[in-house]
Amino acid sequence: MLVAMSETLTTNEYTDDLRYEVFNREFMPHIDSMYNFAFRLTMDEDDANDLVQDTYLKAFRFISSFEQGTNAKAWLFRILKNSFINDYRKKSKEPSKVDYQEVETTYNSEEASDTTYTVDLRADAVQELIGDEVANALNALPVDFRTVIILCDIEGFTYEEMAKILDIPIGTVRSRLHRARNLLKEKLRSYASSMGYDS
Amino acid sequence: MNASSTTPSVTEVAQKQMKHTCEHHAECMKIIQAILDDEASEAEKDHFRENMDKCIPCIESYRLEKCIKDSLNNKIVKKPCPESILNTIISKINS
Repeated sequence: MLVAMSETLTTNEYTDDLRYEVFNREFMPHIDSMYNFAFRLTMDEDDANDLVQDTYLKAFRFISSFEQGTNAKAWLFRILKNSFINDYRKKSKEPSKVDYQEVETTYNSEEASDTTYTVDLRADAVQELIGDEVANALNALPVDFRTVIILCDIEGFTYEEMAKILDIPIGTVRSRLHRARNLLKEKLRSYASSMGYDS
Repeated sequence: MNASSTTPSVTEVAQKQMKHTCEHHAECMKIIQAILDDEASEAEKDHFRENMDKCIPCIESYRLEKCIKDSLNNKIVKKPCPESILNTIISKINS
């Protein structure tokens, strides 16, 4: 249905009515996901509010560059991610850039290929963790690693969609996700062992 | 006619063939994650099918990765967007 519609539209010219219609039909259903993404990026309620508002207003303003029938959720997430990098990351207290480079270097080294991450975390231990513990482990990751896990495991985007949202090649999506999961396992392991679930 | 009592049972044979170490585990971890993400290539799916029922480290890793992925998806609370943001957006695009 949507594909058929986009085929009949040879240009992206939107009438005023169509702008509102597309906005309501394609964009508004994703507002809860967008809010949660914004909150997990900024870790601050006020910033999340501003980020979601800014993103939706930008989306409306630039709606003519949205191609109907394509993935509106990925399109919106990309705008939100870019707004976050340009407007919020600078003022964020989190020293994410430094962390990220450090971590990226560590995990590119030889040690990254060993299997020590998995040996002392068991599925049963993870099963015992409550939502807050899982969320805290996720929140403890540097923002670039947190982001790929949110997009893949919480929001269910494909690698191809993630590549578009993040403006990186699919190979980088794969490797960043792999590293992010290794880091997350370390965080989860420390929660599990502090709860005594590890033995 | 009957198998002699010294013939190992099917499960014993299976256990003997189980691998307790994985010589390419780092590579397998990538494949396991691609499988769980529904992003594996045909070659990765073949490798997975051939190895997953006989390699204990890979079986355990699969369980762990799946459990973490499910926990992220199911356990973390998703908040609804506050009504006030919704109202602000609507009033701004209508003005």
